[in-house]
Amino acid sequence: MKRKYLGVIILAAILMMNIVFTQYMVHQYYYENYENVLIFGGLNIVLFPLAVFAYKKTINMRA
Amino acid sequence: MSDKNNKIPFNEDNYTHNIERNNERKLDRRGFMKTLVGAAGVFAVSSLPWGAVAAKELMGLGEKEYPHKKITEVSNLPIGDAVEFKFPGDHDDAILIRLSENKYVAYQNACTHLRCPVFWVKEQGEMICPCHHGKFDVETGAPTAGPPRRPLPEIQVKVENGSIYAVRVKRYEA
Repeated sequence: MKRKYLGVIILAAILMMNIVFTQYMVHQYYYENYENVLIFGGLNIVLFPLAVFAYKKTINMRA
Repeated sequence: MSDKNNKIPFNEDNYTHNIERNNERKLDRRGFMKTLVGAAGVFAVSSLPWGAVAAKELMGLGEKEYPHKKITEVSNLPIGDAVEFKFPGDHDDAILIRLSENKYVAYQNACTHLRCPVFWVKEQGEMICPCHHGKFDVETGAPTAGPPRRPLPEIQVKVENGSIYAVRVKRYEA
């Protein structure tokens, strides 16, 4: 059976961005750039609905 | 397994009767993607507290100002001498050192190693912790010898009408 792994790839990319943003967020917190903490924290939160959206869009792609 | 589908022709109510559900589809693509989405959710939730503390810092709640507290009179403190006081609470030991005519430094003097009281040795020009011979630089509060690795928290002081007041504890800077 042929499968499309686009959804998996997108979700893996989102997860990678999550890791990067979290790392940035924590580091910026300790560097006391609190605006950047809020920016990256916000990006992290925005990524979650994006992930849900990507999941729903790609789950029924067959063959 | 119920035998409601054992009639011939059986009444098919799903398309998965040929799958051993217990193990066969344990980690299919869909389940894997659900895990990924869940992980994204965990990341989102875990970044909330960081955002909260950052917002708190931005709104200036971290820079707490305590009521000014009189330490001593300038005339009671010769150059090179130190006086101990309590700031901001009644159990937070602190030390004020007069380095020159107009230069005062104050630190919370609980040693950053095991919280022994750090005292001022005038002859050596050093702050020394008696427990394990930790030494601190008097200008900055930075540790210079012994076990402590973190600086003493500095207290800002203000001189007004011949009296010395403790104003606030400076933020710890790594």
